[in-house]
Amino acid sequence: MAQNLHEFLLRLKALFRKRRMEREMADELAFHQAMLQDKLLRQGVAMADLDAETRRSFGSASRWHERLRELWQFGGLENFGRDVSYAMRVLRRSPGFTVVAILTLALGVGANTTVFSIINGLLLRPLAVPESDRLAVLGISQGNPRINYTFSEPLFRSLESRHGVFEQVFAFDHTSLQVKGSGGNENVPGQLVSGEFFPALETAPLLGRTLTPQDDRKGGDPVGYGVVISEGFWQRWFNRTPNVIGQKLTINNVPFTVVGVMPKRFIGADPLERPELYVSMSTEPALNGERSMTADGFHSWWLNVMGRIGPNGTLLKADAQVAAESGAVLHEAIPDAGWIADRQKRHFHFIAENGSGGFTYLRLLFREPLAVVFAMCGGILLLACMNLASLLMARGAARQRELATRLAMGATRRRLVQQLLVESLLIAIMGTTAGLAISPLVGKSLSMVLLGGEIDMQIDTSLDIRVFAFAALASVVATLLVGLVPALQATSGSLNEHIKSGQHTTQAHERRRIMPKIMMAGEIGLALMLVVGAGLLASSLVRLYKSGAGFDPRGVENISFSMDQQPLKGDALMQFYQQLGDGLSRQPGVTSVSFARIVPFTHRIWDQSYSSPGSKDQDINRNAIGPNYFGTMRIPLYEGRDFTWNDTKASGLKLILNKAAAQVLFPDRSALGQTILEKDEKTTLQYEVVGVVGDAKYEELRSPAPPTAYSPMTQDDDADRSRSYNAVVRVNGEAGPLANTARLLGTKLDPGIPAPVMTSMQSVIDDSLSAERTMALLAVFFAVCALVVTAVGLYGTLAYATARRTSEIGIRMALGARRTQVVAMVFLQNARVALVGTGLGLIAALLASRALASFLYGTSVRDPWVFAGSILALAIIASAASLLPALRSARINPMVAIRCE
Amino acid sequence: MGQVADSGELIQGTLEMLILKALLRGPLHGYSVAEWIQQTSQQMLKVEEGALYPALHRMELRGLLKSKWGTSDNNRRAKFYELTADGRKRLDAESQRWARLSSAVAFVMQAS
Repeated sequence: MAQNLHEFLLRLKALFRKRRMEREMADELAFHQAMLQDKLLRQGVAMADLDAETRRSFGSASRWHERLRELWQFGGLENFGRDVSYAMRVLRRSPGFTVVAILTLALGVGANTTVFSIINGLLLRPLAVPESDRLAVLGISQGNPRINYTFSEPLFRSLESRHGVFEQVFAFDHTSLQVKGSGGNENVPGQLVSGEFFPALETAPLLGRTLTPQDDRKGGDPVGYGVVISEGFWQRWFNRTPNVIGQKLTINNVPFTVVGVMPKRFIGADPLERPELYVSMSTEPALNGERSMTADGFHSWWLNVMGRIGPNGTLLKADAQVAAESGAVLHEAIPDAGWIADRQKRHFHFIAENGSGGFTYLRLLFREPLAVVFAMCGGILLLACMNLASLLMARGAARQRELATRLAMGATRRRLVQQLLVESLLIAIMGTTAGLAISPLVGKSLSMVLLGGEIDMQIDTSLDIRVFAFAALASVVATLLVGLVPALQATSGSLNEHIKSGQHTTQAHERRRIMPKIMMAGEIGLALMLVVGAGLLASSLVRLYKSGAGFDPRGVENISFSMDQQPLKGDALMQFYQQLGDGLSRQPGVTSVSFARIVPFTHRIWDQSYSSPGSKDQDINRNAIGPNYFGTMRIPLYEGRDFTWNDTKASGLKLILNKAAAQVLFPDRSALGQTILEKDEKTTLQYEVVGVVGDAKYEELRSPAPPTAYSPMTQDDDADRSRSYNAVVRVNGEAGPLANTARLLGTKLDPGIPAPVMTSMQSVIDDSLSAERTMALLAVFFAVCALVVTAVGLYGTLAYATARRTSEIGIRMALGARRTQVVAMVFLQNARVALVGTGLGLIAALLASRALASFLYGTSVRDPWVFAGSILALAIIASAASLLPALRSARINPMVAIRCE
Repeated sequence: MGQVADSGELIQGTLEMLILKALLRGPLHGYSVAEWIQQTSQQMLKVEEGALYPALHRMELRGLLKSKWGTSDNNRRAKFYELTADGRKRLDAESQRWARLSSAVAFVMQAS
């Protein structure tokens, strides 16, 4: 230890007295040489031979000097500094190479970091609550691999009361709440939470208190219903007034009292939600009235359930516990023995999994697409690295003389490798920095595309320690991949040979080198894989759009009016809608207007069991619509008639079937005029089929149109409820002003309704395909990048290699080789590599494309057109990149080339 | 590394031991250290400059030697090395080790 300290101090001293140390070393060596010369003179060596004789005996003074210098330096730190400035000079001297290298890496690292930051925000980032690692998400397994994460209220209440390893078990559900303000009602993102929600998330309020199990009792706290608001809502609604506690808020026409304010960092247990209001689950029946999901009991599955595991518990224990409790919970919560028996046959049991990141259903939706995108990103980064490596290798070959000279001057191989690595490290650092700089911007827009229509959500893609660690890792790996192989290659081999060779013709070893060829072949293979993947995803997306929705979405706008909380019911409500429709159809550009309860592709399903007399029940999708719906949507009416406002309940229940439903219910006869039965436990309803229309897709564009029955909205079964319908408006031309008109029309008819939301049918379709679109878009982007990067790599390496063969080519031409032969020779050099790479890539692509199978619509994973097209694209790119250097080599003037030697 | 005149290489560390020994009689500059070793070994051991100076500097760094600049016999500025207390201790230890090692080798070689 004392010795190390001694060394350290001396080196430190040397560092500060660098110039003096240098001089002293030189003096010491010079003194030795002088003494040696004296001795040689005494021995009778002639004056003329003195210098040569000294050198022979003493060796290279500069080399010994270098050794001594290294001895006194801090383990390479100073070398590193010198390497950096040297590398800077080298990189500045070839700006073209440097820019290409940095851009390539920026692209690779940037893409990876962006996708990683989304994965981080969606899947990895823990909730910002204390000890989030002790949180667990509960789910339900029913014998198939798909876990269900929604619970009904009775199941949750039963789970909540059993603690075991859990300190708390809590539930939440996001919902849109209508808050009464000075300018009418406003929709505000809110969350229904159980009593243990806040205790489990252990976050102190900014002001007041949080909600407690006391609040979650039926009827709430004796003082009335309490609501906890977010810091943002406090700012916006109450202007941060400190006496907000105790203020009243009218939510869904129910009076609430503000009891607390949560700090900004608290976002509940769903990482994508930004709730502004938290109300107790027990208030749900009061808030939702007739639509109460609590009142529906075990038929309504709407709650996400999580738990906080106590200090003595583990996730494994928790999982075992909830699985063991499954039977007891079922029997306690569910009164229907037949239902329980049916579930238990399917091995119904609860599961607990890691919940440190909270729960969001989007995780289930995007986990696989993100994995695929991440793999593609990894491919791009690998490609970028391989490309740079082969460029560096080619450069290394060109720099061999420089390196050999430095070896001869006394540099060790280690120092040279280190120095070359510093060069690639610089490139990597600059590339990574550039990539990191663009990553948040791209990440933000990418997550917006991913989330599509979910305007209330956001993925937190901000850079955190994990993203930085990832970027740092990526750049270190990139440096090693990019730098190490070329550096080792460039510094290998015999010194003499390199110095002698230079531009020499006798460079057999150069051409035999296998490493650059492997790199290039691998690059081409990788590029082919990316292009094939992009081709498959893109053609699948095109097929998806071409498959058609069964209606014409162009020019159709949806305007959703939230009427659920309004007092209008029954005939009065229908009258409201009829007036609204009349008002809208008088607007400029509007060609027709109708209404629908369910807008296609919004992932909402309403289904019913119907039967034709004498046959068994069929599961048919339903929708309730206004008159002229088919005309507005341009769904063909094949038989019968459309609905009118006069189809009231009194005139008998009517249905219009689509072709698929008609086929299912009446396979052997015309459906028109037939009777359809809807059997309940108590009653049987009879419907008359008044029309048959074309098939229109319902839940998603990917699935074919399901059997669907349309009923008139005027006959909706629950006249005592207030229903919300979406106005469907076909507009000719600009639709923008319509949103404002709709708002004015709505408030004129009823001042209580919140401002309606207008979305175009096309954007609904786009949003429903957001995952597919994002994947295809990214894949195509990556594929184009891959092609460009590969072209640059092929061109660069061949150009270098050809430049080094100038004199050889000169001799060939002098000996009678024709220009076409030279072109062919150079061209074939790359063509062979490209052929091997394509073969490898083809095999790899065939194997890897299976991973895409679940994302493809109407496209085989071995779609021959896509494969052929990809190979063609790559062949064109590779040929173009190889032809340029080949043509240039044919322009070599043999005389000039040979004289060069 | 130092070299045995005809063949074979001095074991790493042996050079350092010889340097310590050379400096036992008083401060010397690098050239005299090499000369002394060569003469004392009756030209059997020739110390290469490429090995000598790194060894001297390494030992200085480790605190076995210290150095100061002085004037040589022929009035040239030269760097003189001398033993530190640590250096003396090291020399004692090395001499004993060497004695044991060489007699052991001699025993083996003389065995019939």
